[in-house]
Amino acid sequence: MFELILFLILLVLGYGFGRWAEKRHYRSIIEREKTLNRLPAIASRIPPEKGRYRQTLVMGNTVISVDYFKRFLAGLRNLFGGRVTAYETLLDRARRESLLRMKEQAAGMNAEMVFNVKYETASISKGRRDTIGSVEVLAYGTALIPEPASASDQD
Amino acid sequence: MEYRNTQPPEGINVSHTHPLKELVLLLGGAILIIVVLSLVLSHSMGYLARFIPFEKEVALTRDLDLGSETPPALQRYLDALTARIGRAMELPPGMRLQVHYSNDATLNAFSTLGGHLMLYRGLLEKMPNENTLAMLIAHEVAHVKHRDPIRAIGSGAALQILLALTIGRTNADVLANAGSFTLLSFTREMESAADAAALQTLDRLYGHVGGATRLFEVINKARDGMELPAFFSTHPLDEQRIRALREMATANGWPLKGPLTPLPAGYRGWLATRSP
Repeated sequence: MFELILFLILLVLGYGFGRWAEKRHYRSIIEREKTLNRLPAIASRIPPEKGRYRQTLVMGNTVISVDYFKRFLAGLRNLFGGRVTAYETLLDRARRESLLRMKEQAAGMNAEMVFNVKYETASISKGRRDTIGSVEVLAYGTALIPEPASASDQD
Repeated sequence: MEYRNTQPPEGINVSHTHPLKELVLLLGGAILIIVVLSLVLSHSMGYLARFIPFEKEVALTRDLDLGSETPPALQRYLDALTARIGRAMELPPGMRLQVHYSNDATLNAFSTLGGHLMLYRGLLEKMPNENTLAMLIAHEVAHVKHRDPIRAIGSGAALQILLALTIGRTNADVLANAGSFTLLSFTREMESAADAAALQTLDRLYGHVGGATRLFEVINKARDGMELPAFFSTHPLDEQRIRALREMATANGWPLKGPLTPLPAGYRGWLATRSP
């Protein structure tokens, strides 16, 4: 009985805090995406031909943990199969947040754009049982920082 | 070439399904499946468990330590009484009974795997005569004879295995507990069957069933205002039990009254003895 009560408390807390954190995070993501859209992140490997750029590796890394409610829902989903919708927002948030962090780093270097953007995803808990799973998403790319025209002439 | 990022529309990588709706659907389905499967499994396992040889039960409980705080005189008396009950109940050969006594005020008695019976001082103190004590012990011996402990554990274990296989050791463990909670104790059917067997034994031992219903009156009286001990929780209501016993005795022609055998002279003293 005690276990059941504890479980329900954890479930309600997980749901409440999870939803609250998710909504807040999405608001922040959308807001920052709008401002950082001026700095394009491009998947193409071929940089623009015009202009001279200094190239620097930039990366953004996010670790997001799944809440108790989502983990329970995903566990139930394992019984029936189908899309694990509970984890979709988790990965979506991690990807977008990582890209934003990468862009923020690039923006700090006065980069014009980021090329050859790639993602890496890793599970922190590595499928270990009885642990709350966390996912790491790393976004990285090559920031192109325009060289001053005078400097390029001297080359 | 001009490079641009535009704001992606929402809801492409994320489904719109409300998580609570999904929870209700999935949980409802899971509970339904668990209930159906556990009913089927616990019944079939409960049925199959009685084919497990009794020696296996004994082997399982070889390391079981139920304590040995029994004063020797009391142990001798309880052993002798239990042996008489076992003979009267025509236990199958090889079904050995072991009586344990706990110097504890708990109002309880139980039987478990391997023919082990556990009697608590709290309940033994309340016994008014030997007939009532015999009814109590016979009830527990009947559980052993009917293989109730292994049946109860068998059906519980079947559920645990089923849930471990399907859900794995996730938080859904809670569901496993919910499913097996009621099955780990004896069912009311088992209790009624044990009552019936005990009553028959009492008639065989003493030629009448007097004192049998006193057991439930004693328990009922002692329990007033007390927390319900786990042992009694699945037992049929005392009044119903007493009525059922009376009806059975009348139907079988077992006399309801007869001379009651007193408890041995030193009985109260033995219970009070602090064991070394």
